[in-house]
Amino acid sequence: MKTGVYFCKCGTNIADKIDAVKIRESLLRQDPGIHFSTVDFMCSEEGKEAVAKDLAENRVERVVISACSPRDHETTFMRVLSKAGLNPYLMQMVNVREQIAWVTEDSGRATDKADRYIRAAVRRVQLHDALQKKEIDICPDVLVIGAGPAGLKAALSIAGSGRKVVLVEKSPVIGGLPVRFEELFPTMECGPCMLEPLLGDVLHGEYAENIELLTMAEVTGVVGSYGNFAAKISQRPRFVDMQVCIGCAECIEPCPVSAKNTFNSGMNDRKAISFPFAGALPNAPFVDEKLCIALQGGECRKCREACPVEGAIIFDDSAKVFERNIGAIIVAVGSDLYDCTKLPQLGYGKLDNIHTSMEFERIMASNGPTDGEIRTTAGNAPASVAIIHCVGSLDPKHKEYCSGVCCQYAFKFNHLIEKKLPGTRVCHFYKELVIPGKDEFGLYHQARSNPQATFVRYDDIQNLSVAGGAEGTIIQYQDNSGKSGSVKADMVILCPAVVPAEDSGRLGTVLEAGQDRAGFFEELHGRLDSAQSKIRGVFLAGTCQSPMDIQKAMNQGMAASGYILSGLVAGRKLEIQPVNAEVDARRCSGCRVCVAVCPYTAISFDPEKKVAVVNDVLCQGCGTCVAACPSAAIKGNHYTNAEILAEIEEVLK
Amino acid sequence: MADKPKLSMYWAAACGGCEIALVNLNEKILDVDAAFDFMFCPCLLDTKKKDIEALPDGAIAITLFNGAIRTAENEEMACLLRKKSQTLIAFGSCSAEGCIPGLANFHTRDDLMKAVYLDNATIDNPGNIIPRPETEVAEGTLQLPAFYDRVRTLAQVTDVDFFIPGCPPEPHQIWNVVSAVIAGAPLPPKGGVLGAGRSAVCEECDRKKEDKKIAKLFRTYELVPGKEACLLEQGLICMGIATRDGCGALCPKVNMPCTGCYGPPEGVLDQGAKMVAALGSIIDIGDTKGLAEEEIFRRIDAVFGSIPDYAGMFYKYSLPGSILKGRIS
Repeated sequence: MKTGVYFCKCGTNIADKIDAVKIRESLLRQDPGIHFSTVDFMCSEEGKEAVAKDLAENRVERVVISACSPRDHETTFMRVLSKAGLNPYLMQMVNVREQIAWVTEDSGRATDKADRYIRAAVRRVQLHDALQKKEIDICPDVLVIGAGPAGLKAALSIAGSGRKVVLVEKSPVIGGLPVRFEELFPTMECGPCMLEPLLGDVLHGEYAENIELLTMAEVTGVVGSYGNFAAKISQRPRFVDMQVCIGCAECIEPCPVSAKNTFNSGMNDRKAISFPFAGALPNAPFVDEKLCIALQGGECRKCREACPVEGAIIFDDSAKVFERNIGAIIVAVGSDLYDCTKLPQLGYGKLDNIHTSMEFERIMASNGPTDGEIRTTAGNAPASVAIIHCVGSLDPKHKEYCSGVCCQYAFKFNHLIEKKLPGTRVCHFYKELVIPGKDEFGLYHQARSNPQATFVRYDDIQNLSVAGGAEGTIIQYQDNSGKSGSVKADMVILCPAVVPAEDSGRLGTVLEAGQDRAGFFEELHGRLDSAQSKIRGVFLAGTCQSPMDIQKAMNQGMAASGYILSGLVAGRKLEIQPVNAEVDARRCSGCRVCVAVCPYTAISFDPEKKVAVVNDVLCQGCGTCVAACPSAAIKGNHYTNAEILAEIEEVLK
Repeated sequence: MADKPKLSMYWAAACGGCEIALVNLNEKILDVDAAFDFMFCPCLLDTKKKDIEALPDGAIAITLFNGAIRTAENEEMACLLRKKSQTLIAFGSCSAEGCIPGLANFHTRDDLMKAVYLDNATIDNPGNIIPRPETEVAEGTLQLPAFYDRVRTLAQVTDVDFFIPGCPPEPHQIWNVVSAVIAGAPLPPKGGVLGAGRSAVCEECDRKKEDKKIAKLFRTYELVPGKEACLLEQGLICMGIATRDGCGALCPKVNMPCTGCYGPPEGVLDQGAKMVAALGSIIDIGDTKGLAEEEIFRRIDAVFGSIPDYAGMFYKYSLPGSILKGRIS
C-alpha cells in the first residue's frame, strides 16, 4: 500500500524547528516504499494543487499530511484528496506546527517528536477504511411545541419559508404569558398590542395556511430521528368549532355555571363556556367539560340557544389524535413560577393581599379580574406596597440561579403603582439587583428617584417574615448590615423564581431530550448552541431552556428556526457523516451496557434480535459506547482499536 | 495403533483441573482413544520426556498444552512440544492467559520466595534456605529449573496454533473440538479460539437484561440475588459482560456471578481494562453537573470502594496475557 507523506514547511513556522531531511530518512528506514514530499505552504492554492497533482502522478493510496491543526485544515486536505480521486478518509493529519514546532525550543527534540508522530500516522493511515458518507431523504416540515413568544416567532419564520408548521399549544389561547401582561418592561409597551400582529399573522397572515394550529393539544409520542420524526398529538375537545365561531361572546352571559378563572390566577370567576380573557386569540370560547351542565348529562343548552351562528357550539366534540411527519422539533413550552408556599414565612396562601407577580400582572391588566384597578381585598387602594425580589432565586435552599427578569418587572410594578396610585409607598426587598442591557436602566432609575420608594437589601430570605394582624400586614426584616426593622404594607408582591413548566418532565421523556439539574431543557452547549438540545433535530427556544426575557425568547425562536432552515432543506438530502459507531450484531451479547451511556440516545436495544442498534442519524461518533462495550462488539469508525493502538505503539517505539 | 494420529497433553504451571476436564468427557474418552494414539500425558501416562525427544519433528498431530510458563522447565517443554507437534493448542486459561498462577505477576520473584520460604508462619527454615537453580553439595551440583521473574502465557514463549479457553475448558466444548478434528471439519485461521463463542457470556445467559445503571455493589456473601434479573444489575460484579461465551453461563445460572475464566471476548485485548471501562460507564453517581471534582471522586469511591481487590477481581485469569502483564515497577 503506497503511502504518501506530505510535509508542509509553513514558511519558517515548521521548517525552522523540524528538519524535513531527517524525517524523510527516518521514514524511508521504516518503509522504503514511502513517498515523501515537502510543500512550502500546503494550504495555498498552489500548495493544494501540487499535492493533488503529486497524489495522482505517484498513485498514492494513503496520505499523511504533516502540517497544522486539523481544526484549521483537515477538511481542506480532505477536499484535496477527493479532488484527486481518493477517498478523503484515507488521510491522517499530523499537527507538527501547534503541537511541536511552536512549543518545542530545541530543534533536535522537535524533529525527533515530529518523526514519532509522523511514523505513527503512517502506521495508522494504513489501517484506515475508505468510509462513505450516507444520505437520507428528509421532511422539511417542523413541529413547534408551545405558542408563546419563542414558539410563535419560530413558527412564523419557518412558515414564511414555505414549509409546513404544526404549532401545538396546551391552552386554549396563544401568546404565552406576555399576552396577559398589560405593559412590558423595559419600554412599557402594551403586551397584547405588541403581540397582536404576531398572533394575527399566525392565524390569518400571508403564511397562515402553512401553520396548522392545534390548541388544547399536547405531544404524546415521538419516534424517528432528525429529518424524519413522526409525532403523535392528542387534542382535548374545545366543544366550539373555531372555523364557524365568530367570537361574538353572546354565549357567555346565559351560561348558568361559574368557577374560578385560572387565567386570572383564580382571582375572579368564569363561566363553563368562556374566553380566557377579553381579547384572547384564537377568537373562540372554549367549554370546560367538567363544569358544563350539558356535557355532564344535563338539559342546559343556553349557550347554543344564544349563539347566532349555526353549528359553532358542538356538544358531541371529542378528543382527537393527530399524527404528523416532521423533520425537526422546536420545544418552546415556556416556564412557571416557583411555588411561594415553599417559603411559608412570606405568608403566601395564608394571608390576604399577598400576591405573586403573575397575579399582580393580572390585577393591573385592564382585561383582568379588577379591570386594572389595584385594590386590597377590602376594596381600598393600598397606601403601601412591598415588593419582595429574589423569592427562591439565588438561593441554594430553593433555586440557585438568578431568574433574570424579576428586577425589571418589579421596577415596572413600581412605575405602574406610582402612575395609577400616586403617593403610594413602595418598599423593595432584594438580595441582588440585576439590570443588564442597553434599555433596561430606565425603570430602575425611575424607581430609585421615586421619593416614595425605599430599598432594603437582605442576605437571606429567611431574614424576612410577613405577618398579618389588626394593624395590617407587617414585614419584619434584618437587612444585610444586620439592622432589624419592620415595614407595614397593605399589599405584598412576591417575585418568585422562574422554574420549568410543570409538563417539561413528561415532554422531555417523550422527546428523550435531557433536562438539567433545575429541570430546564438542557442545551447542546451553553454558549455555542443554546438553541439546540443534545438530541439532533430537537431545538430549544425560550424559557423552557433557561429563564429569559421576551427579547431573548424571540431571538432564540429565530435561532432555532435558523438551524432548521439551513440544516433541513427541501430537496436536499441529509448527509450522515461516517465517523460513527457500528455494532457487530454477531458479536453483541445483548448485555445493554451501551444503551444508557450514549449522550445522544442514538443506541436502542432490539428485543427480538437481542442486540444493540445504533441510529446513524443521531450518532455523533463520540466513542463513549465503543469504550463501554465490554465485548468489543461496537466499532468506532475512524477510531478503531487497531488504528489507535498502532499509533500508540509507533509513538512509543 | 501406529496409524492413528498422535495426541499429547502436557501440564506446565497448572492445577491439574484441565486433565480432569478431559477425563470428564466420560465414556467419550473411548472415542478419543479410538481416533487418536493418546501417547503423552504425565498426569495419566508413563511416557517420558526422552520418548518425546526421540520422536521426529512434527510426529505428534495435536498437543493440548495446559499450564502457564513459570519455570525454565515449563518453557523447555513448551518449545520441545512445539517442535514435535503439527498443531499446538494452548489448552485452558493458564496457558492461554496465565490464569491464577499469573496473579503472581503482581510481585517479584524475590517477594514470592520470601513469602513462601521465609516469612511464613508454617515454615521452619532456620538456615533461611531459598531454592536456587544450582546448589553445591558434597556429592556435586544439584540442579533445579530456574524460577522466572514473570509468569508468561504459552504464546509468549512459542508459536501457538489455537487457543481453547476456560478454567477449565468445559467438557462439552472439548468434545466439540475433538469431534470436529475427528470429522476433519475445517478449523479457523491460525491463532483462533476453539471450543468457545465469539461474543460474551450474556449471550448464553437467560437472565433478563435492562439498560444498566448501578448505584451500589455487593460482594457475593452480602446478597441473595433474585433469580430473574441480570446479576450485574443487582449489584454483583458479574464479569460475564467482558468474558467470552462458550461455557453455557454455568455460574450465573446457579446465582453466582461470572468471574471471567473464559477470557476476553473476540476483539478485546485486555479483559480487566474492558470490565473497568464498562463498569465506569454504568455506575450511577447521580447528576454531577456543577459538582466539585472532589465530590464526584467521593461518589465514585462510594460505589467502587466496596471492591476489596481490584486486580484479583478484574484480572483473575488474564493478567500475564493483558496489556500490562503484571505490576509495573
